[in-house]
Amino acid sequence: MGSRVKIQSGYLGKAAIEVKAGANRDTVKSLLEANKEAGIVALTGLDMAKKIGLMYHMCTNGVIVTIKTEIPKKNPKIATISDLIPGAQFHEREAADLFGVIFEGHPNPARLVLPDDWPENLYPLRKDAKIDEALANAETAPRQTEAVQAESEGDIVNIIIGPQHPALLEPEKFSVKVEGETVKQVEPRIGYVHRGIEKAAEQRTYLQDVYLVERICGICNSCHAACFVETVEKILGTEVPLRAQYLRTIILELNRLHSHMLLLGHAGLEIGYETLFQYMWRDREPVMDLTEQLTGNRVISSAMTVGGIRRDLQETDIPKVKTQITTLKKKMDFYYKLFENEPSFKIRTQNVGVLSKEDALKLSVVGPVARASGIAIDVRKDEPYEAYGEIPFNLITRDEGDSWARLMVRLDEVVESINIIDYALDHMPSGPFRVKVPRVVVAGEAINHVEAPRGELFYYVKSQGTAYPERVKVRTPTFANIPAFINIAEGGNIADVPPSFVSLDPCFSCTDR
Amino acid sequence: MVVDLWFVFRVLVFPGFTFIFFFTMFCDWMERKIEARMQNRVGPAFTGPAGILQPFADIIKLLSKEDIIPSGAKRNVFRLAPILAFSFVVFAFSFLPIDGSAVIPNSSFAGDLIFVMALITIANFFLFLSGWASSNPYGDIGATRVLTQFLGYDIPLTLLALAPAFIAGSLTISVIAANQYLPFAILAPWAFVLFIVTLQAELEKDPFDIPHAESEVIGGLETEFGGGKLAFLRLTRDVQIVFGAALVVELFLGGPYGPVFFGLPELWYFLWFVLKILAVVLITEYVTCLFARLRIDQVLSGNWKVLLPLSVLSLALTVAVATWIYPLVM
Amino acid sequence: MVKELLAHLFKKPATSKYPFVKAEVPEGFRGKQVYDPDLCISCGLCSRDCPAKAIEMVEVDGKRSPLFHLDLCIFCYQCAESCPRKAIKSTAFFELATTNKDSLVLKPGGPSQKGECVQQ
Repeated sequence: MGSRVKIQSGYLGKAAIEVKAGANRDTVKSLLEANKEAGIVALTGLDMAKKIGLMYHMCTNGVIVTIKTEIPKKNPKIATISDLIPGAQFHEREAADLFGVIFEGHPNPARLVLPDDWPENLYPLRKDAKIDEALANAETAPRQTEAVQAESEGDIVNIIIGPQHPALLEPEKFSVKVEGETVKQVEPRIGYVHRGIEKAAEQRTYLQDVYLVERICGICNSCHAACFVETVEKILGTEVPLRAQYLRTIILELNRLHSHMLLLGHAGLEIGYETLFQYMWRDREPVMDLTEQLTGNRVISSAMTVGGIRRDLQETDIPKVKTQITTLKKKMDFYYKLFENEPSFKIRTQNVGVLSKEDALKLSVVGPVARASGIAIDVRKDEPYEAYGEIPFNLITRDEGDSWARLMVRLDEVVESINIIDYALDHMPSGPFRVKVPRVVVAGEAINHVEAPRGELFYYVKSQGTAYPERVKVRTPTFANIPAFINIAEGGNIADVPPSFVSLDPCFSCTDR
Repeated sequence: MVVDLWFVFRVLVFPGFTFIFFFTMFCDWMERKIEARMQNRVGPAFTGPAGILQPFADIIKLLSKEDIIPSGAKRNVFRLAPILAFSFVVFAFSFLPIDGSAVIPNSSFAGDLIFVMALITIANFFLFLSGWASSNPYGDIGATRVLTQFLGYDIPLTLLALAPAFIAGSLTISVIAANQYLPFAILAPWAFVLFIVTLQAELEKDPFDIPHAESEVIGGLETEFGGGKLAFLRLTRDVQIVFGAALVVELFLGGPYGPVFFGLPELWYFLWFVLKILAVVLITEYVTCLFARLRIDQVLSGNWKVLLPLSVLSLALTVAVATWIYPLVM
Repeated sequence: MVKELLAHLFKKPATSKYPFVKAEVPEGFRGKQVYDPDLCISCGLCSRDCPAKAIEMVEVDGKRSPLFHLDLCIFCYQCAESCPRKAIKSTAFFELATTNKDSLVLKPGGPSQKGECVQQ
């Protein structure tokens, strides 16, 4: 490709490849030829005044490589890559919504995150978008009529699951075409609770953004905050004290513990196993209490800050944490027995919603979903952050790829998390837990990813040398895993939709930033 | 005239409608309390002592709510079906001997076991009608599930109910109950266990509560119901559960009969009856807590491939044992 | 599971009768704020750093003081961290639900600023 490509290593991941607009497809293609297991992590749009920048963050061999390209704002057209990587479909639809990029050849260029009655040609993340003005004048904007509740086309019945449905705790919609009891086609629609946090982050200081991004998701709040502060620290070049790294690791693992246990209990509810739900949530409660003890709140920890952690660990707290997690670990034996032996539980989850390794790779799924399909990815191992490089723990994988395996992976990870916390407490270094950082961040850009409970969480932050970020891009794990749900549900039984859906641990508050 | 007043008292107050209603409420509270304790929760706690008035509060709350009839619903069926379903279950209940004799004195006749089972089937059919009449896709699915599940499990249930009838040599409930010097649960334990399992499916409790699977069909047949009608649907379900327990007591646990220590035998019979029902409720609630919900196709194939053959076998076994072995023993 | 269920039948429940039995919070819990007007130097840093823009600086007795809008507050306590004089402290009070939104505005010098918890 010669002159059309410029490679800069050690920048935006392992390397940044700058290409001309037409060459993005070829570059992705050659990346895929070099490594069949390569996938897409995120697609970041960037307003560059006269141009729109597009960054394809690709994942290959556990590291991120960024392909940069620019297209004119007046005529924002670019060829799609979703035929090469089906997992890119959602990313392209999101960029089309927020930046007005037209992806030529996209199989389904419908709106994804913006509401149906959002004015045409108003792209919220462009810097010149006059949103208040446009919305004030948008009374006449045509509102697309919602699809009717259920309609039939011959033998095929169209069932709408959502936006309000007892199986979904958050608003999203799935149009499911059903023939008899078999699911033929699934069409997801998200964005019902889109809050525009990426835009809001541009209007707040870095300090305030830590609390803002923390609220993207209630469950994995610490992961969001940690990922954001790490990205900012990368731009600043801040060296975080070792003690802060260990403390962050503990908070993050507590976060993972309560998230996994929440999901395992919730899975019980979805398959009508209320006792499992009650027991699991009962045993999750001590984890919440520990979070409250260490950070001051049982859910939103607000523990992370740029340059370290906000609250030091008291020596008196250590024995309490240790006894609690030891008790929890003992209780896990009971759940292992239950998950492995209880027939009514297994009959509902085993061989239900199977995601093969090939499909999982093609759809670029992340986290426990990928690990349950036999893909050994875990950011904590691939690119260790915080104290994970120093703490020994096992990477859990299973080969079955069904709902049961996805739940088992999480059960195994609960035990691993307990071990990590235990190790971190034993090897806690002394020293400062926080360093002072400037409020104004030097110009630069950085990407970062962490392993959130639901999978790889990705952040891109660009600074222009002010106290306000120029762009904050968030790619949440669920956003990457929704295409997998379509794959899992199609061809399965309609009654299996809830258990296989919940085994993905979807979080729509995350997805609709 | 005196006889008439006694009759009215028996039908309306004890052991008739009022007793059945209050006893159902009490069983409902027991059930919730047992389930809560098994799941390490408190359960109803604030309405009355230990929350015993909670079921009443729920019913009163529903009765005080606005009664809505959806525009697409079949109005008359929608209105009548819940009440009819409730009446049929209570009517069936009045044939069971509660304090030694049935609600309506001398109402038992040869073959009333079959009659009572038929009444219960009709009550379930009205439940189906109520879901179907609401013209809601979820109501439809829930109603169809009730029907498929109920009709399927009716066959093994009847076959299994024949076992005690055969041992007692009668199809009359009061005769079957009175003839148990040894409870039939001991004489024919296989039929007892299968009967409990089938009953669990009939009463739509876990692991067979497919018609109520809220993650799949929202509220099932109750989806469009609110206010007083929902109260009646709920009541129907609760009375059904108590009725199912009562049927087990009559057929397998010796009915209301038990040792009489002093005073009126009716009082003791009544006490035994209540205690035995609570024991059965405890067992069913235990099973409910123990399992996850099965899938509709698993439930149906479980019925046709497992329970039906087993119940036929059980009947054959009972017949063989009752004809050749028990006469030798007793 | 079989044994576990029966055992729990006779055990004390894990849940508590919450509104009647008060929930305990640990030390350092981020509850409702109290603010000490004597320590405040009217710098306005708390208001500037507040991510939820819940702190407003108002004139009281000729001194600029913070006014907390608890209905906007996200209880992150960045204000307490930014305060150079440590004038903002947390309490263990968290039952802030109310039918009157005005009661969620903590005026400087008002009764709820002295540290006691005012139940609506």
